Amino acid sequence: MWRQHPLRDSYDVVIVGAGVHGLSTAYYLAKQGVTDVAVLDKGYVGGGASARSTAIVRANYLTVEGIPFFRESLKLYESLALELDFNIMFNQTGRLDVGHAESTVYALRQRVELNKLLGVDSRLVGPEEIKELVPVIDLRQDKHLPVMAALYHPPAGTVRHDAVVWGYARGADGLGVEIHPFTGVTGVLRAGDRVTGVETAKGPVRAGTVVSATAGWSSIISGMAGVELPIVTYPLQAFVTEPLKPFMDKVISSGNLHVYIYQTDRGELVIGGPVDHYPTYSHRSTLNMLEELARFAVELVPSLRDVKVMRQWTGICDMTPDYAPIMGEVDGVRGFVLNAGWGTWGFKAAPIAGKSIAALVATGKTPDLIEPFGLFRFAEDRLVNERAAAIAAALH
Amino acid sequence: MAAGDCEARLGPHPTQAIDRSKPIAFRFEGEPVQAFEGDTIASALYAAGVRIFSRSFKYHRPRGLTCVAGRCSNCLMTVDGVPNVRVCAAPATDGVVVSRQNAWPSLERDLLSVLDRFGWAMPVGFYYKSLYRPRLLWKIASPIIRRVAGIGAVAAEAPSVARYTHRNLHAEVAVVGGGAAGMSAALAASDAGVRVVLIDDEPALGGSLRYDLRSYPEAAGQPAAHGYETANDLAGAVQSSPNVEVLTGATAFGLYEGNLLGIRRGSEFVKLRAKSIVAATGAYEQPLLYDRNDLPGTFLSSGLRRLMHLHRLRPGGAALVAATNDEGYHAALDLVNSGVQVVALVDSRPRFPHDLDAAKELQTRGVLVLPSHGVVRAEGTKRVAGAAVSRLTEGRPTTEEREFDCDLICLSGGFTPAGALLAQAGAAFGFNAALGESVPVKLPPGVFAAGSVTGASGLDDALRQGREAGAAAAEGGALSFFRPPETAPARVDAAPLAEAPGSRGFVCLCEDITSKDVVTAIREGFTDIQTLKRYSTVTMGPCQGKMCHRALVSLCALEMRQPPDAVGATTQRPPLQPVPLGALAGAAYLPIKRTPMDRRHRAAGARMVDVGPWQRPHSYGSPRDECLAVRNRVGIIDVSTLGKLDVAGADAPAFLDRMYTHKFSTLRPGRTRYGILCTDSGSILDDGTVTRLREDRYFVTTSTTNVDTVEDWFRWWLAGARWRVYVTNVTSAYASINVAGPRARETLAKLTDVDISRRAFKYMRSAEGNVAGVPCLFLRVGFVGETGWELHVPAQYGEHVWDALLEAGEEFGIAKFGVEAQRILRLEKKHIIPGQDTDLVSNPLDSGSAWTVRFDKEDFIGREGLAAARERGARELLVGFVMQERVVPSDGNAVTVGGFPVGRVTSARLSPTTGQAFGLARVPAELAQEGQEIHIHVEGRDLPAAVRLEPLYDPKGERLRA
Amino acid sequence: MGFLLKCPNCGERTVYEYRSGGEETDRPQPGDPAQDWTRYFYLRRNAAGDQREWWYHALGCRRWLIAVRDTVTNQVKETYWPGEAQA
Repeated sequence: MWRQHPLRDSYDVVIVGAGVHGLSTAYYLAKQGVTDVAVLDKGYVGGGASARSTAIVRANYLTVEGIPFFRESLKLYESLALELDFNIMFNQTGRLDVGHAESTVYALRQRVELNKLLGVDSRLVGPEEIKELVPVIDLRQDKHLPVMAALYHPPAGTVRHDAVVWGYARGADGLGVEIHPFTGVTGVLRAGDRVTGVETAKGPVRAGTVVSATAGWSSIISGMAGVELPIVTYPLQAFVTEPLKPFMDKVISSGNLHVYIYQTDRGELVIGGPVDHYPTYSHRSTLNMLEELARFAVELVPSLRDVKVMRQWTGICDMTPDYAPIMGEVDGVRGFVLNAGWGTWGFKAAPIAGKSIAALVATGKTPDLIEPFGLFRFAEDRLVNERAAAIAAALH
Repeated sequence: MAAGDCEARLGPHPTQAIDRSKPIAFRFEGEPVQAFEGDTIASALYAAGVRIFSRSFKYHRPRGLTCVAGRCSNCLMTVDGVPNVRVCAAPATDGVVVSRQNAWPSLERDLLSVLDRFGWAMPVGFYYKSLYRPRLLWKIASPIIRRVAGIGAVAAEAPSVARYTHRNLHAEVAVVGGGAAGMSAALAASDAGVRVVLIDDEPALGGSLRYDLRSYPEAAGQPAAHGYETANDLAGAVQSSPNVEVLTGATAFGLYEGNLLGIRRGSEFVKLRAKSIVAATGAYEQPLLYDRNDLPGTFLSSGLRRLMHLHRLRPGGAALVAATNDEGYHAALDLVNSGVQVVALVDSRPRFPHDLDAAKELQTRGVLVLPSHGVVRAEGTKRVAGAAVSRLTEGRPTTEEREFDCDLICLSGGFTPAGALLAQAGAAFGFNAALGESVPVKLPPGVFAAGSVTGASGLDDALRQGREAGAAAAEGGALSFFRPPETAPARVDAAPLAEAPGSRGFVCLCEDITSKDVVTAIREGFTDIQTLKRYSTVTMGPCQGKMCHRALVSLCALEMRQPPDAVGATTQRPPLQPVPLGALAGAAYLPIKRTPMDRRHRAAGARMVDVGPWQRPHSYGSPRDECLAVRNRVGIIDVSTLGKLDVAGADAPAFLDRMYTHKFSTLRPGRTRYGILCTDSGSILDDGTVTRLREDRYFVTTSTTNVDTVEDWFRWWLAGARWRVYVTNVTSAYASINVAGPRARETLAKLTDVDISRRAFKYMRSAEGNVAGVPCLFLRVGFVGETGWELHVPAQYGEHVWDALLEAGEEFGIAKFGVEAQRILRLEKKHIIPGQDTDLVSNPLDSGSAWTVRFDKEDFIGREGLAAARERGARELLVGFVMQERVVPSDGNAVTVGGFPVGRVTSARLSPTTGQAFGLARVPAELAQEGQEIHIHVEGRDLPAAVRLEPLYDPKGERLRA
Repeated sequence: MGFLLKCPNCGERTVYEYRSGGEETDRPQPGDPAQDWTRYFYLRRNAAGDQREWWYHALGCRRWLIAVRDTVTNQVKETYWPGEAQA
């Protein structure tokens, strides 16, 4: 899939993190002709947050900054299998964000209205249409938190997350990029206001530009470069059930019930929710989260009661104050580019984030699409508030 | 189903789990099946002649009982509507209804088994490399692939939730595993006088000793006896120990932080927190790799012993035993003693084990034993009809083959430690070359291990390790006892591989992954075990690696020419065994909060609406009529859900000055002031009124859903700061009612002796007195914009005061109003609702509340953020608007300029008072001019509206103050 | 039912009884430079290792406490009341 190389002591660009973001950045860099690139990772390829992502792709965001960005990402996903010559198994079967309270429906409507105006197919549907789209949802109205409406987003779907990672890795490799798994970065080299490379267990590596794409660990890598981030690392848990005969082809998500559910091509149900209530770098799953997710899943779809959990796992995420990513250069630290702050929504952004950051690295000019997401926004109080979307969709 | 075949059962024996005096009847595929109490569904079906128990996931190959211990996925069936039940571990009960899965029309004849013939066309990684060009192809293919996916089906109509229950347990020592080591550990801990819980997933204690017919010499204090006798002996001692609670039929599926065990016991979910954990979880017997190693009739040796000894079944007529260790000889002897002909025993080891009694006995009984031999092929299509064996050279098969007729293949591939719980807890594992297994080498604090999970074998070791671990665990020492085994049985590599073209040696039964698939994936470059697993899906099925992980590691080591420890391992994640969502969910419900007047609202036919955890009346009929009643007469609304905090202490005035943007130290007792709370960066956190009751006491209200946040917030700023301030959440102590409208004063006057005259009780004043004979705090506030009082009475008088007000107001045309009317009324007054009209980044300066910010205070929470915001100037402002047409936008509609969204409507309604469609919107600052035309996007049209900076209703607040 | 935290008042309890208040930060003084305030508002060390942090015993005594926790292992090394000298 990709070749092994001895690690050299210098590259034009070093990307820290061989997850979907790092590899997509490498791929698009190479496509632009910047091929002297090394992607370093402390573990196996796609083994961090990418391995743990439940890989839902959608564009139904809340802000005028976020919607176009994710819209372009969705477009790239639609043709990614052809682009990479690798089937990423994008099942564009649609997604429902279910609202069980007036305040939630209000938040969903804000998204729908902006989505429509910005070219993203979203609409608000009532219980009757929900019943047709996903008959197993509990639509009883005589209960606490009855389903009132849903944001239906037909172009959303799921991808096979590993396939996206491997597809980008293979593509980048084919264009001359070196991928170095099991090559942890232990320090960032600086000369004055400039980042000049990284320190690894296998020795120093000099680079014209260093890109940090290390979801969950962004604060650590940036800290090595002397850059403090508005990021706190939180765990995100999910589980899968045993395989079941297909009975549900849409992704369903409920902000009020803190749960999302979809069925894979293999028949397993993937069930997840929001990040845990405390920050940690620990990847150990908790019984409490398993219970909560199970409880809410059964509340939303009562027929799941006898379905069995087969495996639970945990990833870690960069949470930002405004639930929006941080991309671009850092004032006062030349040669260091951030691809961070991906919270729980990183996978769906990987193609466009990689492409945009590649353009920035290759040309030195920040593409308009990612300009609002710079680190400067915190000092200038120009937060991109994706929070309302994130209540329902801190859930992916 | 024919005959129950009870005569096929073996005679009674002390090991038997079945009670032949208690017959049971159930249905399988619509046919009646006879069983005995103590049977599993699987043992009863096997007795009834069923041999194919499932069809495999991918190729629909026939699969039969294999592990007979609830580990592999070969016997998944639907039981009483519950999908994917391992019937070999499910007790047979009267009347239960069992049906096949993933096969049509029957298990014997499954039409989709045709897929098996096209295995060559779907090599590992097939989907990644195909079906995506052109783009539409995947859209077409995916639904077809999905249709054949999955195993069991979800019942459309869900059964009752009530059958799952939860229980919490605490213990000094929790011992997981009720075999020799576990029981020994439990007894040792119990002897130390601590409380012990012993958990085992079998219906009875004993572990593998239950079906162990061997004679053991005296060992570790146990007298010489048969294995099962020792099991009984120890179980008796455990059961009679007052310190030990025994949970049998209970699976400890996860070991979580803080030594928390998740345990599933039938319909019960138990959470057990223990000071120390002893994992005596045993080992999983492993199958062997050869062509068609999945044919029904292929058993693990332990599986056959279970069928023979626990269920007293003669499993077949003739067996070939394939062993890599001594265990196979014991199994072979058991088979012979149960009347099964053993056609041969092949042993991958080079030498006949002369010092093994069982081996000598077999020889005496005329059983052919072939050292340096392994199985290379099973014969048969739907079940085992024979086996081909080959001489091995350096563990690899040669062309020297022999064939045997048999209907059973008994596999004894050795035991791999069942270390999942230890791994979950963070234990480190290392490869032990003598054993050829990964064993735990370092345990986390408070976690101990004993028995075969450590790699130990033999009763003596198990008992001794158990005793030592139990004693150490009881002491609760921080240092964990652990000792790797000193001796190991001689064994060569467990996985003789015979790769012939078209060969089907299944590494992973759950996922139908052959050794060829694994090798292919490795050759494609998936050279680390994690990506290999993901690419090939090996170990990812329902058994989660219990039956395949070791073979995978061996295969990787062989193919990559690396030592097994360099291959590494996949991560062992919880749960250890699948757990139903319902068991985890329990009888849980979503908690609802009801106000003290809740019954009255429901009796009045109110439409209730969820507001956070609360249920509140949305309206009692027409919100419009309710509004008009308030505007023209008098209305009452239940506002008990308002958060209420009592803030007292000498520093309370200074503290509130610090918390709020407004000033409260200057507020005189008996007065009320509106206040906004901000975060330090200046964003609005919440709002409410602050009433000074006395010099050192304030009554603070918060919005309904934010009281906990505000309480936590206050306490956070108080923590360690040496303020003399005491915050008490009194939300549920009061029933709260807002009486408002031009006739409110007259209504209230009938019920109180407090002077509520216009002159005596001015706007934004408070008083304490009685209403309807009960104590009450009166606040003259005006969220809805009319003369009115917020009454706070002790919660238990809520209904009483509510009734009294309705009665007193009857002559004035009083009406109850709900939250919808309140929202309209406050909107007419341009009173904001945080969260509705503001968001995460809104501040008072851009939300029409600049008047609440007192920059003349030296410091308050949010001051610096707001000062910076003031300097920058607002980019966006909250403004009122009135639609040109009578079209009411929805909350959340966009404000547009040239079709592009620039802002949004936060609240919009039709004003019952003026008849206009109006609302609040957040718009770019340059549009926030009185009369400015803006456009609001409603159902595809950009409709004109005019900005209106003043409230729609009573802009001067005259009615409010009247 | 995750890891355990010892409340100085209530004893060792599961983390699910607590609300996390994040890492300890130093609030600048009024008039300090804007970048100090920005840093205080948004930037975090987010240490992977020992971190001094706030916890609120929401389902217990409803008091805030300080814990020193290893954020990689969730091992809580000490807890104490804010303002009190730690052991």
